[in-house]
Amino acid sequence: MPQEAGDAPGAGSSPAPARRRPRILDGWGLLVLPLVAFLLVVFVAPLVSILARSFTDPTTGLDNYRDFFGSPVYLDVLGNTFRISGLVTLVTLLLGFPYAYLMTLAPPLWRNLMLVAVLIPFWTSLLVRTFAWVLMLGDTGVVNQFLMSIGLIDEPTQLIRNQTGVLVGMVQVMLPYAVLPMFATMRQIDRRLVQAAEGLGARPISAFWRVYAPLTLPGVAASCLLVFISSIGFYVTPALLGGPKDMMIGELIVQQLSAVLRWGFASALAVVLLLVTAALLLLVSRIVNIGKFMGGER
Amino acid sequence: MKRVLTAGVALSAVLGLAACGAAGSGADQLTVVMWGGQDQKTHVKEAIQPWGDEAGVTIKQDSPSDYAKFRAQVESGKVSWDVVEVEPNFAHTACDKGWAEKIDTSIVDTTDLNPEEVTDCAIPVLEYAFTIGYNTETFKDAHPTSWAEFFDTEKFPGKRGFWKYATGAIFEAALLADGVKADELYPLDIDRAFAKLDTIKDDIVFYETGEQQQQLVASGEAPLVQAWNGRIYSAAKEGQPVANEWNEHLLSYDQLVIPKGAKNADNAQKWMKWYVEHPEAQAGYSNATAYGPITEAALEHVEPEVLAELPTSPENAPKRAAIIDYAWWADNYDEVSERLNEWAAQ
Repeated sequence: MPQEAGDAPGAGSSPAPARRRPRILDGWGLLVLPLVAFLLVVFVAPLVSILARSFTDPTTGLDNYRDFFGSPVYLDVLGNTFRISGLVTLVTLLLGFPYAYLMTLAPPLWRNLMLVAVLIPFWTSLLVRTFAWVLMLGDTGVVNQFLMSIGLIDEPTQLIRNQTGVLVGMVQVMLPYAVLPMFATMRQIDRRLVQAAEGLGARPISAFWRVYAPLTLPGVAASCLLVFISSIGFYVTPALLGGPKDMMIGELIVQQLSAVLRWGFASALAVVLLLVTAALLLLVSRIVNIGKFMGGER
Repeated sequence: MKRVLTAGVALSAVLGLAACGAAGSGADQLTVVMWGGQDQKTHVKEAIQPWGDEAGVTIKQDSPSDYAKFRAQVESGKVSWDVVEVEPNFAHTACDKGWAEKIDTSIVDTTDLNPEEVTDCAIPVLEYAFTIGYNTETFKDAHPTSWAEFFDTEKFPGKRGFWKYATGAIFEAALLADGVKADELYPLDIDRAFAKLDTIKDDIVFYETGEQQQQLVASGEAPLVQAWNGRIYSAAKEGQPVANEWNEHLLSYDQLVIPKGAKNADNAQKWMKWYVEHPEAQAGYSNATAYGPITEAALEHVEPEVLAELPTSPENAPKRAAIIDYAWWADNYDEVSERLNEWAAQ
């Protein structure tokens, strides 16, 4: 998350305390060097080689990019990736926010149970969970059988091999990533602020939305970013639960890398994905002060 | 800055040591790479470990076969795999690009193998077939017995499952269904195949894995699949209502290749020799999996109920339509994959 480190545009309105700047490289600051070295070796160097390969393999030039932008299918795949990731982010937010809020209200025992309920799937293999959805959502699966037996539908609704299937599978995987940051933020909010607002005459609903909700924004922003960025890289879930129309770019990259062995093209796909994601985050950071929400500045 | 450099040097030293640790291996070993899972365990137990015991070679394993890793190892010169089970189209590509060692025919005697399955760099490891897999409850009285009937959604309604990769014989099946003669299949007329596939497009379901294939046909969700015979066999053995129709099956096979620069390439050749010359070891694997052995001599060691499910059995072999031409596929895989992606996404 690049925005965390640098000042996002528009974030400079409150100048940072002057004493912080010169002290970045004191004795403790040096502790960051192993991480920097590690990132240079395992992240930056491969990234540079991917970038180089996208322009040189199999021939030097822009061929790989021309192939990508020349084909409506690949642009659709890129579009799918962001559309599905956006939808997953939205749905996990809608489900995760009330859940996290309820966790802060619940007594300790219930809170722990709720935590375990979110985390258990988190500890199960992704492939197993995804395959379980295949069995649940199929035409002959539990969900359709149940709906038919209570007479709600006459013939199976298609819940799999389409966008619905992908959403269900991905939301379940991403839910812990949405709930945990929001819960962490919410439990630190001083509830007396809400009481104070109510004491000063605010109705409960307006106290919640005007006092409590804004204080949860750092957690909400962290959740959304985490879910959105992780979703972009999904490929097993869309491959198993989606149809051919729901292909996401991760699956295409794997196909090009491992099956077709067009490494230059796969590299170009990765570069395009990285650039579009960065551009998107930059755009968001112009509207929302991500640095502030992520705790970078106070 | 100097400190950054020091840290960098220290780190690369550590990495270097780790690499040496991995590379400085004992002299006599063989690292085998297959698709993983129970299949690989069985294969190693029946047909690789016995050789290792006999020759005093330590057998190591990795899984699954991964063409990107294969290529990366060869290109970087750090090859940790010695013999790899691959699909034949990759074996062709690897041989053409110089990523694979040549098979030394003075060591490995290939005369008993099907010549169509042997190339300069590869010998077969197993045979299987693309069959018509059907649900025996959905189709109690009559089921499709040809690809033409497989494509006839009026006579046999229901969804059809195909493997989502272009080399999964979907094009061969479409062309046979459209009346192309089996001996005139290649070069594949991809336009004609797509035209035929268009006629059943709404009923096509693509599957990614073998488990999915079994689940689709066993649950009746897609009562017809273009199947891998061994998958249908194992599902049937577990009591699922599925069966193989062998008529017009398409023969396929996996191959063994040795990555260029493999440290134990000699051992790999020696094991290949042993494997080809030990039909009972091939049969041991077949008995457990219903994947076919690579020599005819092995058939007599195969149990009768398994033999009935093998593509090379005397009963099934005459029902064969064709053998997949992977040399053609090696040349055309990129382009046809791209068209299949496009077609499926429309």
